[in-house]
Amino acid sequence: MSAQAILQRLGAPLTVLVLLTLWELAARALALDGFPTATESLAQLPAILFDGQSLQSIGASLARMFAGIGLALLVAVPAGLAMGRNPTLARMLNPLLSAAYPVPKAALMPMVMLWFGVGDLSKILVIFLGVSLPLLYHSYHGAARLDDKLLWSAAAMGMRAPARLLRITLPGALPEVLLGCRVGLAMALIVMISSEMIARQSGAGDLLFNALDMALYPDVYAMIVILAALGFALDWAFEHLRLRLVHWAEPRQDAASGGNS
Amino acid sequence: MRRILETLVPAAPLILLFVVWESAARLGWAPPNLLPAPSLVLQRLLELLPDGEFLHHLGQTLIRLLGGFAIALVVGVSLGLLASRTGGGALITVVRVLAPIPKIALYPAFVLIFGYDHASKIALVVADTLFPILLATFHGARAVEPKLLWSAWAAGSGRFASLFTVTLPATLPAILTGCRVALLIACVTVFLAEMISSTDGLGHLLSLAARSFRMVDMFVPLLLISLIGLLLNVALQFARKHLLRGQS
Repeated sequence: MSAQAILQRLGAPLTVLVLLTLWELAARALALDGFPTATESLAQLPAILFDGQSLQSIGASLARMFAGIGLALLVAVPAGLAMGRNPTLARMLNPLLSAAYPVPKAALMPMVMLWFGVGDLSKILVIFLGVSLPLLYHSYHGAARLDDKLLWSAAAMGMRAPARLLRITLPGALPEVLLGCRVGLAMALIVMISSEMIARQSGAGDLLFNALDMALYPDVYAMIVILAALGFALDWAFEHLRLRLVHWAEPRQDAASGGNS
Repeated sequence: MRRILETLVPAAPLILLFVVWESAARLGWAPPNLLPAPSLVLQRLLELLPDGEFLHHLGQTLIRLLGGFAIALVVGVSLGLLASRTGGGALITVVRVLAPIPKIALYPAFVLIFGYDHASKIALVVADTLFPILLATFHGARAVEPKLLWSAWAAGSGRFASLFTVTLPATLPAILTGCRVALLIACVTVFLAEMISSTDGLGHLLSLAARSFRMVDMFVPLLLISLIGLLLNVALQFARKHLLRGQS
């Protein structure tokens, strides 16, 4: 292993260590009530992670998040791929997408709760909305960029349209679709936390603000550390999965973008 | 005539949506207290726009939105340009750890440190918009044709000065693309922060209306923040055309 590779592998833990040290020093220097030191906050981690109730809350949040993502995958990816291959459909849906893009999805929580009640359905729906847009956008661009000849050949050999979408368009657009999934995953976590902070009934976001209301400041920071670690871990795990699925596309994609520009 | 048609065709799906929604509300397919007609929401928005208190909330939101964005722009572009000269290994490592963190989770910490006023919300906007701008600048600056720099250096330009006279203008298209993403994120972030802490601003108006189930008043701030996002995007496109008029 070269020195650079070792440095790359140690980069992330080293960064975390440096950040924690900076936090500790800043907290000691400022000595604010609302800014406990890193050691004080991290000491609360086991109390939260081994507490059945808070674990259940976080677990329920994650279950809703994955339900929202799963639903978005089922709806947005086929819709995006179809848009990429059908210019009329794209012309119909694109204005709606651009109009929906700047709407803060988690802010829909109060309305959606009035429509669908305060249960899991509303929360899943809002996450679904947040994840769908990046998925649609990336699937659309991935499918639109696909070489037409591939689809013509398949059609000439008698493959029907739904099969072409599944067996030619999807694998061809997969690198771009997975890029959308990565954005969508980050989005899902953000929408999950913010909608729980807004609705304040259950889940990880609610846990965080409960600790804030009760002035349990080290707990607040411990929760933030947990959510930050969750964001990092999900992204890390997905990147490994993504590279495994589309490792064949990476160098080719670079060459193509280099050639075009 | 052709121009009118060309602008009308993309608008057609939006008009259709408006008509369907409007008739759903008017014809009583959906209870009006659950789904207000879009015309009512627009009318209410126009009624409120000259209102002093409403404008105050709008102003608070815009200060946080643009203030946070401006800080992120200056810091992100400077860091991105500097890192592009040093290879950026350290920067990329730090970004790889910090970028996937859901920044909204930091908001309670910002509230505890900076209080409930402008500072905590601006801090959240900066945290959320810094990375898109920083990464766009860094990758854009790395892709600048090296011959441009060599020519500038050969012509006697200093290493540091050329960062601003050569690299910055050549990176501008990439920076503007980063800004486009960042501006939309900034709109969403500031609105959510205002909904969560609910002291003032457009997000607070939504939370306030939700408490008394005033549906039309709930949609007004949501519509307005979305329009602000769209308008900022259009403004940026104009700025882009103006700034990049020399480049193809």
